[in-house]
Amino acid sequence: MLARAHAFTIDGLQTRHVSVEVDVRAGLPAFAIVGLADTAVREARERIQAAILNSGYEFPARRITANLAPGDVRKAGAGLDLALACAVLAASGQLPCDELERVALFGELGLDGTVRPAHGALAVAHAARRAGMRALALAPACAREAMLIDGLEVPVVEHLHSAARVLSGGCGDALLESPAGAARKRIALDEPVGSVAGGDLSEVHGQHHAVKAIVIAAAGAHNALLSGAPGTGKTMLAQRITSILPPLSRAEAVEVTRIHSLTGVRIDALAMSRPFRAPHHSITPAGLVGGATRGSIGEIVLAHNGVLFLDELSEFSRPTLEALRQPLEDGRIAIARARHSAVYPARFALIAATNPCPCGFAGEGDRCSCSEAEMARYRRRLSGPMLDRIDLLADLHLEARERRATALMTSAEACDQVARARELQAVRLASEGVTVNSRMDGRMLGRYVKLDERSERMLRSARAAGLLSARGEHRVLRVARTIADLDASRRVRACDLGAALALRPDANVAGNRAA
Amino acid sequence: MSSVSATAKLAGACAGCLRRSWLLSSLSGPLEYCARDRARLLELLALPDRKLLEAVAGRRAAELRARYERFRADELPHDPQLQSICRHCRGYPRALDGPAAPPMLHVAGGAARLAKLTAAPVVTILGSRAASDYGVQMARSLARGLTASGVTVAASLTDGIAVAAHAGALDAGAGSVAVMGAGLGVSCSPRRRSLYERVTREGCAVSELPHDCAGRRWGLLASERILAALPSVAVVVEADTSPGEVAAARNAQALGCTVAAVPGRVTSPLSRGTNALLMAGASLVRGPHDVLDLLYAAGEPQPREQVSAPVGATPQNDLRPGLRVILERVGAGCDTPDELARAGVELSAALLALSELELTGLLVRGDGGRYLPRNPL
Repeated sequence: MLARAHAFTIDGLQTRHVSVEVDVRAGLPAFAIVGLADTAVREARERIQAAILNSGYEFPARRITANLAPGDVRKAGAGLDLALACAVLAASGQLPCDELERVALFGELGLDGTVRPAHGALAVAHAARRAGMRALALAPACAREAMLIDGLEVPVVEHLHSAARVLSGGCGDALLESPAGAARKRIALDEPVGSVAGGDLSEVHGQHHAVKAIVIAAAGAHNALLSGAPGTGKTMLAQRITSILPPLSRAEAVEVTRIHSLTGVRIDALAMSRPFRAPHHSITPAGLVGGATRGSIGEIVLAHNGVLFLDELSEFSRPTLEALRQPLEDGRIAIARARHSAVYPARFALIAATNPCPCGFAGEGDRCSCSEAEMARYRRRLSGPMLDRIDLLADLHLEARERRATALMTSAEACDQVARARELQAVRLASEGVTVNSRMDGRMLGRYVKLDERSERMLRSARAAGLLSARGEHRVLRVARTIADLDASRRVRACDLGAALALRPDANVAGNRAA
Repeated sequence: MSSVSATAKLAGACAGCLRRSWLLSSLSGPLEYCARDRARLLELLALPDRKLLEAVAGRRAAELRARYERFRADELPHDPQLQSICRHCRGYPRALDGPAAPPMLHVAGGAARLAKLTAAPVVTILGSRAASDYGVQMARSLARGLTASGVTVAASLTDGIAVAAHAGALDAGAGSVAVMGAGLGVSCSPRRRSLYERVTREGCAVSELPHDCAGRRWGLLASERILAALPSVAVVVEADTSPGEVAAARNAQALGCTVAAVPGRVTSPLSRGTNALLMAGASLVRGPHDVLDLLYAAGEPQPREQVSAPVGATPQNDLRPGLRVILERVGAGCDTPDELARAGVELSAALLALSELELTGLLVRGDGGRYLPRNPL
């Protein structure tokens, strides 16, 4: 007899529908699973047999063939166990078949028949709704995650028995709200996903120029580089960008939560704040952009819709940094390997921090002991094309404690400014399909960046003085537009352009020594 | 003196002087050994050919002497781009006539141009290779001002001060003389290639070694002889007290040229050498005009007519008063936006003013993003 169940497998960021067909017929007792299954799926045979027997059902002593269709998609993970077990029960006449067509099943089985959670419940729920399923049955631990998707019933199944009850038309188990679960939910709501603990901008004393640069970077989602001696507060400042970024929109939140649910992080609610990823500089290119193993997701993908912070930028290996070039340009990363290829979204703002020279103290009086050749070598570690994608550079300087100024602003004030600036940008760029200034191309710049008379003159003389390349000019205009937005100015005024020019990133990183 | 005819093709230098050049490159190894003692190296280089051979050739003396006797000018590798010129030619710089200077030079950029450049008063700019931003800017603006007033600037082509000096001369739109420590075909690191090419297009590069002779330490020390002998004034822009950095200045002093120095901060190790020179009686240089004063006081002929107006000088008097205040503040040490803000300027106004001053060329950004006045006067 034949039975068919519906399940899902995760391939990169895509969720693939898998129909699980089980055929039970006379013959020598055997259980074969075909259809490009990985080790975890092939091992399911033993789990399923034990779970069925331990739950008081009968495991048919006949020839069982399970086919996972489509046959050309690799199936990974233990999430198919539940569907396989139910299909075996249905095919051997122990369960009715008709509900199997409408209820998708997702979960790993224990030997005693309990249902365990599997990674990616949110993505699976999303796919189940799109595939027209009425319901998705899964383990209590990941049910809340799936419930974030509207228009899909989520019966909770703790045990193979409960699944059988659901498939016979009954209802699922009650989802008990444990106190621990409630606490977890609140954390998930408040904390940025994968964050280093934030902090408030008011804790940054002095460095007003750099604080302003970070606010500008947050407002326009610009890529920024902070350069300064050790101890000037680059890292401290960069970490506080999470506290001034605007919250995610609903669509962005689903995207972010889906990505993070695939990494196995327990998720109880939609992510509300933007991701902030700060990988260590020993990271490999594969770690940064995603690798050859299926479903290994890179840091830049996890930073999608948020911030990627690279501390000690010059210490990252050259191939790692070069791997960032395409995603910085396109907002996505296409990975092709022998066995699979995948495209992941990766639209993030890059915040990087670096020292100005090998000893770290260039420009701090006489403390720097680096020769010109050493400086040149150090600067060469950051390639030109990489620097070309950085919109603004802020230099931080050592400040004597007694001369240090007070904080420029609190996070709440900055967050407010940023939110208003983002709103202006979104309204202005609504018809272009982008939401932030940093995504404006040359054509949009011509259309939306209006200079007043004095700034027009300044731009002309900057061109004449050879300070701006064509690309550099675009960057300066984007940043100037954001600065004007922070002041809610319709036109870009001279002071906006002046600040953008002072923040332009070529002079000292690229080296402006005599020759 | 085997073939006099062969010398004609090499634009001037006589076979005897070319043979000297060949001899030096053949003795490069032993001379490198002697370079550990700077004074001894200079003594050796002042010896006539045969005595030099006896003194340093060691076991190879007999073989080299035989090759020396048989030497023909066309044995010397020849590069059509280069000309050679010796003290028996008409255009050879008169300043190099003494026994301490080399008898011949290979010239990139043309012997005629070298003659023209050295006919004007020559000022050598010396200084550290690991210069600070201040030193680099001073060297550049000195070279720019001097070149614009018709003075020829000479310097080596090593990092730091020397490179800034050539860049300053090129800013003024005229040539400088680069004195190289190795053959002209090999003496340039890839990093300096484009500057070398610009210098030889406008001015010239000279070396006493054949064009394929690799760069070594002794060659660099030997080239300091030329830098010491050529000028009437040598200006040390920035140097610490290590023997290498002030030796060229002492050498020049010994040859009777006026040594001047740019003062630096007394706390900076990079300025200890120059400050010590000033202490010992070197003339103080604040800008090109001080060097010009020294030249005239030394009774030099009037410089050629002005080559061009001083470059990069939007007359500072034309500045709006607001901008001039900022420029003065930056010159006085408030060289970052935050420093200016602490001094009472509003941050966005400070950024605007800094950008405007940078656009007019009065400020540049240096190490660590600090702003520097371009003409420190």
